[in-house]
Amino acid sequence: MADDSLIIYEEEINQIDSLISKMLKGAEAKCALLVDKDGHLITRQGFTHSLDTTALAALLAGSFASTKEIARLVGEPEFSVLFHQGKKDHIHMSLVGDRSILVVIFDDRTTIGMVRLYAKETAIELGKIFEKIKEQSFDKSKAGITNDFASQAEDKLDDIFQD
Amino acid sequence: MVSINYSSREVCCKIVYYGPGLSGKTTNLLYVHSKVPSDTRGKMISLATEADRTLYFDFLPINIGTINGFAAKFQLYTVPGQVYYNATRKLVLRGVDGVVFVADSQPDKMEENIESLINLEENLREYGYDISDLPMVIQYNKRDLPGVLPIETLNAKLNTRGLPHFGASATLGNGVFDTLKLIIKLVLEKAKRSASDRAQPSVNLAPGSAAEPATPAPPATPAPQVASTDEPEPEPEPMAPYPEPAPEESVPAAPSTVDPVTSEVKDDDTGRLPGRATQPVSVGVGAPSAEATSTDPEPTTYRPYPGSEEGPQDFEKKVSSANFTPKKMEEPDDDDSVSNRIRSSSGGDADVSRPAMAPSLKKRGDNKKRGFIKRLFGIK
Ligand SMILES: Nc1nc2c(ncn2[C@@H]2O[C@H](COP(=O)(O)OP(=O)(O)O)[C@@H](O)[C@H]2O)c(=O)[nH]1
Ligand SMILES: [Mg+2]
Repeated sequence: MADDSLIIYEEEINQIDSLISKMLKGAEAKCALLVDKDGHLITRQGFTHSLDTTALAALLAGSFASTKEIARLVGEPEFSVLFHQGKKDHIHMSLVGDRSILVVIFDDRTTIGMVRLYAKETAIELGKIFEKIKEQSFDKSKAGITNDFASQAEDKLDDIFQD
Repeated sequence: MVSINYSSREVCCKIVYYGPGLSGKTTNLLYVHSKVPSDTRGKMISLATEADRTLYFDFLPINIGTINGFAAKFQLYTVPGQVYYNATRKLVLRGVDGVVFVADSQPDKMEENIESLINLEENLREYGYDISDLPMVIQYNKRDLPGVLPIETLNAKLNTRGLPHFGASATLGNGVFDTLKLIIKLVLEKAKRSASDRAQPSVNLAPGSAAEPATPAPPATPAPQVASTDEPEPEPEPMAPYPEPAPEESVPAAPSTVDPVTSEVKDDDTGRLPGRATQPVSVGVGAPSAEATSTDPEPTTYRPYPGSEEGPQDFEKKVSSANFTPKKMEEPDDDDSVSNRIRSSSGGDADVSRPAMAPSLKKRGDNKKRGFIKRLFGIK
């Protein structure tokens, strides 16, 4: 697991983004995030400008993880869907493949039923893309972390972290 | 695990501060939060109990800038140290790229340090990590206190693997950045190794080797994609318009309910990472957007720091009392103007006077949808 890095290329992100934005239109939802179970944001679509998506990703992944633990305690393998109902905005989360979470934020312009329907379809499609990503071999020519990455980072660190 | 996104050109790594309860993990993050430039870090989030003890995790995202065309981002987490929180502790460890073990240098804490270290290794093993291959730094904290054990004694008991270590005093800030810089460096070196191992194991370095490959590094960074560098956000036109709130909207500061679980350290600025259109959003789970907050007649979404009666200002005091530069609270926005703006601009038939409600089938008057929803729920 430790070496199982998530590496996503332009191409897949474009496919993922277009699936998600299709879902948003269909479900009339506000925005969607695709979050890694580790808390990293993979991508986002729709009206996310006002959101702190970094924090959201971490917290949503955390809440999904703790729900999974709850599931285990009551004898379920995993709750595949989570729903938070607010006064005005609501959050629907569903599992994509085995390591990502599709998060849809919506309000009263639509309904939980619509969102659930579209999210389910989209999660299946996204799952296929992730399967493909998993099988792909790493393309070194695109490698971003080169040999001098760490040493270049070091200079920056000294600038940033000054007591 | 390191996540590399070639579309948004981000490398994202997860670093977890581990250790027994009250060893100073949260204090480490608070110090980092208070000292790094505000464009380098995001908001710090604490999921804590009434008594300020970490319940689930603290979270602080930092962005050290662009290296080789990639934004290098680090997510710093702490875990709750108390023995009985192992379930949540383990969850936070998921996908970790580097661990800082914060040990308490006081003699009477040795047992707890050892117990926590064993627990760390157990949890990592359960996730399938090779412990010897995971970047790790030990921090011997609270060096400012009288009667602390000498570093050699601590090393003998806690550092049998000969890991890099620092003495520190997180409240004063000593050693905090040294620790962080080293763990970041180790994580990046490891990430590089894994990346090259994955590509061409035969040509590349054995893990730990300092030698560089004979072949020159490949041109690693294709020109940044204009459309998708940092803001992969189209404006999906055909939808009913969702108005964007003004970028500087703030969260109402006066709390009316106290939720002990969620809090955040407010920034003096918007706490945004470079290039990110983030803004101060109350991050209580279930308060997903600033819009939600601003349309609430009662601003209930700001969670005061746990245990505080007075709300966020009280937490600011706590921060400053622990030698952190106090940050000014943001002024709450004028609720009405914001909510009216949102309501009135949200399409012709938006019902301005309608109270905010949970979605319900009844409420959706338009018949076209209803038929569909009936089908959806199998209503005859
Ligand atoms: N004297 C001293 N106190 C510290 C130091 N680091 C943390 N503390 C205090 O120890 C207590 C627990 O710290 P905290 O960061 O909440 O511990 P955590 O449980 O590991 O997150 C707080 O009262 C801190 O002020 C230190 O270096 N020296
Ligand atoms: Mg803590």
